[in-house]
This record gives sequence, C-alpha cells and structure tokens, in this order.
Amino acid sequence: MTDSKLPNDINVDQPTMADPATGLPLDFRAHLLQAHTRRHFLGTCATGLGALFLDTMTRKSFAAASTAKLAAGGEPRLDFTRDPSRPLSPLPPQFAAKARRVIYLHMAGAPSQLELFEHKPELTRFDGQDCPASFLVGKRFAFINGIPKLLGSQYPFHQAGQSGAWMSDRLPYLEQHIDDLCFIRSMHTDQFNHAPAQLLVQTGNARLGYASFGSWVTYGLGTENQNLPGFIVLLSGGKSPDGGKDLWGSGFLPSVYQGVQCRSHGEPVLYLNNPPGVSRPLRRRMLDVIEEINQQTHAEFGNPETITRIAQYEMAFRMQLNATDAMDIRRESPSVLTRYGAKPGAASFANNCLVARRLAERGVRFIQLYHWGWDSHGSSANEALNIGFANRCREVDQPTAALLADLKARGMLEDTLVVWGGEFGRTSMRENRGGTEMKFVGRDHNPSAFTIWMAGGGVKSGMNYGETDDMGYEIVKDPVEIRDLHATMLYLLGFDHRKLNFSFQGLDQKLTSVKPSRVVAEVLA
Amino acid sequence: MSAPIYFCSVVLVTAIGFWIMTLFRPTMAYPVKEWLALERRPQATTNSFYSVRIAPLFDEHCAGCHGPKRQKAKLRLDSYANVVRGGKHGPVIKAGNLHDSELFARLILPASNDRAMPPDSKPPLTADEVTVVRLWIAAGASGVQPVDQIKGAPKPLVQVKFAEINEVAVKKARAPLAVVVRKLQSRYPNVIAYESRGSADLQVNASLTNSSFGDADLSALGPLSDHIVWADLSGTAVTDASATVLATMQQLRVLRLMNTKITDATVHALVGLNKLRSLTVVGTAVSVSSAPPRIRPRAGWRRPSRTS
Repeated sequence: MTDSKLPNDINVDQPTMADPATGLPLDFRAHLLQAHTRRHFLGTCATGLGALFLDTMTRKSFAAASTAKLAAGGEPRLDFTRDPSRPLSPLPPQFAAKARRVIYLHMAGAPSQLELFEHKPELTRFDGQDCPASFLVGKRFAFINGIPKLLGSQYPFHQAGQSGAWMSDRLPYLEQHIDDLCFIRSMHTDQFNHAPAQLLVQTGNARLGYASFGSWVTYGLGTENQNLPGFIVLLSGGKSPDGGKDLWGSGFLPSVYQGVQCRSHGEPVLYLNNPPGVSRPLRRRMLDVIEEINQQTHAEFGNPETITRIAQYEMAFRMQLNATDAMDIRRESPSVLTRYGAKPGAASFANNCLVARRLAERGVRFIQLYHWGWDSHGSSANEALNIGFANRCREVDQPTAALLADLKARGMLEDTLVVWGGEFGRTSMRENRGGTEMKFVGRDHNPSAFTIWMAGGGVKSGMNYGETDDMGYEIVKDPVEIRDLHATMLYLLGFDHRKLNFSFQGLDQKLTSVKPSRVVAEVLA
Repeated sequence: MSAPIYFCSVVLVTAIGFWIMTLFRPTMAYPVKEWLALERRPQATTNSFYSVRIAPLFDEHCAGCHGPKRQKAKLRLDSYANVVRGGKHGPVIKAGNLHDSELFARLILPASNDRAMPPDSKPPLTADEVTVVRLWIAAGASGVQPVDQIKGAPKPLVQVKFAEINEVAVKKARAPLAVVVRKLQSRYPNVIAYESRGSADLQVNASLTNSSFGDADLSALGPLSDHIVWADLSGTAVTDASATVLATMQQLRVLRLMNTKITDATVHALVGLNKLRSLTVVGTAVSVSSAPPRIRPRAGWRRPSRTS
C-alpha cells in the first residue's frame, strides 16, 4: 500500500479535500460507500437500475437533435422528451388540433340514459311486464335476480332544438344548448362494476396502474400556463369516485403528469398559503436553500426525479399566487354566480363548473370534474330514479349549461372539448335486488349500451351517432368502444392514438391499448 | 390378370375413390382438381363488392377461427375461393339463395343459439354488416360484380387517415424563419409555438402573459406575421395601434382579442384578412353594427362559408 491516492489513505482530519463533482468532502463519500451494505444495494437495486435507465433517457433528451427517432421497425416515433427542469413545457401536437383543452364532466355512478336522452316508447309500452328471457342470457348483473320487470322511462320526453334530438324534462337548461351537443348513443364497455368501469373510461384499462387520459394529454402536449398544473381534478364533495385516485394517476408515465386534485372548498390546495409568520421572501429563501441541497443530490446521484422535484417546488411557489386567484370564484360577479347556481365556500358541481371555466381561460390543458351519486339502483331514496336522480339532474343541469354558454360567449367552445358521461349505462329492467320488488324505483348496471355527449373542440354539433334497440338495451347501430372514444378525442387534440405512446415493460404503451381502435370519423365537424 | 388390365382397374378404382371423395369432402378435392386443370380457382377482382365490402368484414369477424391459423369445420373465409367452396360440409353460400346459405342463416340466429356465428361472447355483426352480406348473397355472391352495382348497401365506416410527418419537408419549410422564431421564443417564452409537428405555421398565445404584452411586443413579432395562423391576445395591453400589424397576418384563421382596448378601428383594419373565420371581441368597445358587413364580430363569431 504505497499509493497514497487510495481511499484508505484519505486523512479524515482533512475535510477540505472535496470531490470536484459534488463539492462534498471525499471522506464523506467514502463513508457513504462503506455504509452502503449489500442489503442496501439489493434493497435499492430496482430503483437504482431504474435511475440508470432514466439517466440514459434524459441524457438522450439533451443530445436529441432531431424530433423523431427511428424505432427498430422503422416506424417514425414522436419525441416527447423535455428538459427535466421543465417537464410540463408545451409541445406541438402531431397534426393541427381542433381542441386545445378538455373539460371532462364525469358523472360517477353512471346516469340512466333512459331517463335523460334515450326515448324508448316501446319500453314504456311494456312497462311492468317480465323481461324477455333473451335479455338475461349470457349477462352478468350487479344485483338483478331471477326475471326482472321491464321499466319504462320515469320522465316524459320531447324533441328539442333544430336537431330534433329527444330529451327528457330533467335537463331544461342543457336543452337550450342541445344543438351544440354531439350525442353518442352507442357507447359500450366490458366492465359492469363502477371502479373498473371508471378506470377503463379514464385510463383505457380496467386494472390499476395505467396512465389516465389527462396524464396522456399533459404528457403529449404539456401545458400553456407554467404557473398552474396542466391537469386539474375537482370533486363535487360527497362520495369520491369508486375508482379512487388512480382515475387521475399517471401510471407508468412520469409522476409530474398526474392530475392535481384541488379541494372544492376552503383553500384549493392545502397549505398553499404561507403559515403565519412566514413571508413570501422568506419562503423564497427557504426554497433556494432546498434547491441548493437538491442540486447537490442531483450532482451526486444524477436522478432526474430530483430535478423534477425542484421544478415541482418552483411550481408550488408560483401556484401560491396563481392557483388562489384561479380557484377563487368570489372574484366573479353575482350575476355569473347566479347563472351557475354557484355558492362560494360550498363544495358543489356548480362551483366546479365555474372554476373549470376560469381554469380553461388560464390555459389549463385538462380539467376533470367528477360528480357523484348517479348510481340509481332504487335501493334508497338517494339512489331512486324519482328522488335522488332528479336531484342529481338539478345539480348538474344549470351549471353545465352555464359552462357551455360561457365558453361559447368567449369563443372558446370551438377549441375546448367538453365531454359529459358516466362509466356505463343502466338496464331497461327495474332492479329487483334479492328477487323482490323494491320500495324505490331504480335500474341496474348495463355495460352493453350507454349515452355520452361531447361539445365544441371540433365535434359535429347537433349530431346523433349510434342507436340502441327499441328497449334501449342493446346497440343495433354503430357501436363505439371506450378506446374508439379515446382515439377520437386524441384525434381532436392532434394525435394519432398509436403515436402517443410511452415505452414501458417492453411495450409501446398507449391509452387505447393494443387492440385496434377507430376514430369515429362521423362525429368530426 | 394381365398387367394392362390390372393397371386400368387401379386407375379406375382411384378415379372412383376420388369422385366419391369429391362428394363428401369437396374441400380436399379442389387442389387436385386445380392441379389436373379440371377446375379454375375462383378469383375476386379488386374493385368487386366482395373485395371492398365483404372481405374486410369476414377478416374482422370470421377469419380468427376460419382462416390461416385455424380452420374450424375445415372452413376458411379468408379468400374468395375459400368462401364460395365452403368447408367440411360443403358450400356455405348458395348464390342468390339466402334461405339455403348456411353462412347467412347462422349470422342471423339469436346469440343464445348454439349454432349462431360468431359464437359465444364474440361481437356479433352489426345490423348494417348483416345487410351488406344479405345483399351480396342475394345478388349472386359474385367475386367480380363491381362495388357500386349493388344498390342500397349501407355506407361503410369512414376510416380517418392520419397525416404523416415528413421531417425533411418540415425542416425545409421552417428553415427561413427558424432563427427568428427561436430568438423570439426565448424572448417570449410559451407565447410562440408551431401549430403542429408537421407544420411551419405558428400560433401566438399572449393571453397568459398577465397583460405585460403590448403593441411593441406584437410588432416585434412582425417578421413572423406571414406564418401566424392563430392568435390569442386576450387580456393583453394591445390597442388599436396594433391594427396595422394584425392586418398583415394574411394567414390568420382565429383571432381572440377579448378584454383588450381595441375598438372598431381594429376590426375595420381586419377586413382584408380573407382566411379569418373566428374573431372574439367580448369585453371590448367594438360595436357590432359599426363593423363593415364582411366582418361582423360577435361572440364566437364565424364567417359564413363562401359560396364561390
């Protein structure tokens, strides 16, 4: 041992010797290495290898000269790599987009299409009779037992607008915009329980761990306003959707693309305001010190997630000013609040619709609203078609219409895609939980057919696509898969759904999965 | 027995055997017949109703079990010859006779029936698709009848074509302004962007700059004006002084001037913008009546499509 440069010979009393890369004392590094046992190594092996992988990925992003790379198959790929310190920076779409942003109004629990948009006089004629045996063959129901009775619509229908679309009397405000809507009456899904069905609608897969629609869009397009998250989620209060936070999760995509759930009352984001005694300059200094430490960590380990974390701190600092302003509906005039039926301080769908409009104006890319309580089984008053359902309609009708009106008045409906719908439909039969007639009137889940509508953002207005049979039970014309809807929405946002992908587990992951999807060309304006 | 008689009887027995086989297992006989030039393999022409409407439908719904990978009931539906020749039990289609066409009979059976096709949980053909098959068999199940000769067939689903990005062409189109664009992009972060990855057209969104963006800034974008197709100047400090710059943006399709100080003067100056189809002036002093008839601004206004 004559070579004095070996680590063993480092004099621990000389902390001035520093590693040129990190600025840390060399002996400290040696200690770190010695403290790193085999157990540590194995424990962090997976993440360590992941970091190595990410490191090479980000290095590529710096080196990438051209925007497209050729994959093994020769298919040109779109490049979504960005400067790690600005992960949400905007990227142009693949081709010119019709929609710049999305406002998705998800009615969790699955509203009954037969009480809102699907006019089926034949079903009403057979109301109360046993359903045909063919309705039950090969079907799985959440609650229906034995032979249920057919159930006609609980509300009167009429034709509305220039398009002459049929509508029940439950949504009188929305009816004023009926000629702006594009109905897809032939949606279907393969999931008959809420959580997986919601996951399928929002992430393209019924299982946990996949990236949500909003994440894909923020990953593909970034966001225009760097002072606000690109993907914001608002809940109406009450019950959270069954699918949980995975509905706006980023799955295998980098975590910066996940939805940011903002609270519907009180502070939009908890601890966004500085606590008493902490001024903004003090907060700034604090963040500067944290950043310095994080930069050291990054220099040492080279993990791009560290840079992402720095970026997140900075975004939070900017959000302190911007989010409070964006989410504060008290800044709207009383007449606007009245039009939405919004009440500042409460947690409601109405408030969220108004916030959604304010966020859209501020360049937020994907705004996701969840309403709840549409699961009209008839098992309780709140789940009854003639009580709870009617209340739900009242809660969403006026604010949805006001949102459409505001977007239209601002010329924003032409580049904002508004989507309204649940996760499946409801049966043409009355639910008979336990095989007996229930006290309240309700319907079970029907994955075979349901209705959604879209508006603005390049969809055909006054359009009706798809058709169900006379009983509103099965699709007879132009069925649309969830992945077809996704492909269509991505097309409006300027993407070929096959090209918006992310390599993970050896597969080019896509929102629309590996199965073939079709852009529903008939609904494009 | 002499050799020639022996030889002839072997040939005869073989021929009879072959003939019997053709009666019971016609699919096995076809290759031999073709080899012996006794029969020609039926072919469909590319613009025939079969090739355009029927083949894709069979490929999607049937060829999984009746195709190159699996041949249930020795039936393949992946080529015209296979379709008309049928499977283990003979032809499945009788030209012009729906009643005796096994294939069609099974398509229209209710899903609950064991003999219904496609079986089990596989998605059934839509009503339109069944109609297409019905019309084709009724018209003679031909492989050469042109696609437009069978009337009343429901229209096929439109397939959207995605524009391919030509990297070289895009680079070339962007080249003349690339340096200026980059310079202005770094001066005005997140304001200037290409409309798409495949285009040299530009979008300007100054609406998120917190009103620090004014007339001087807009005129700084002057060199780009030929390429700007979309501009959102809502809430910015631009005034009528920008009218001349805006008037040079000949490619402009969408212009948003919400909550700005612009007046009728700017709207008058925009008359020459022939591609402009959407102008938003909510929250400004612009009056609808004073504007020339060619541009009548209102909320979400659209220029009516020209007739010529």
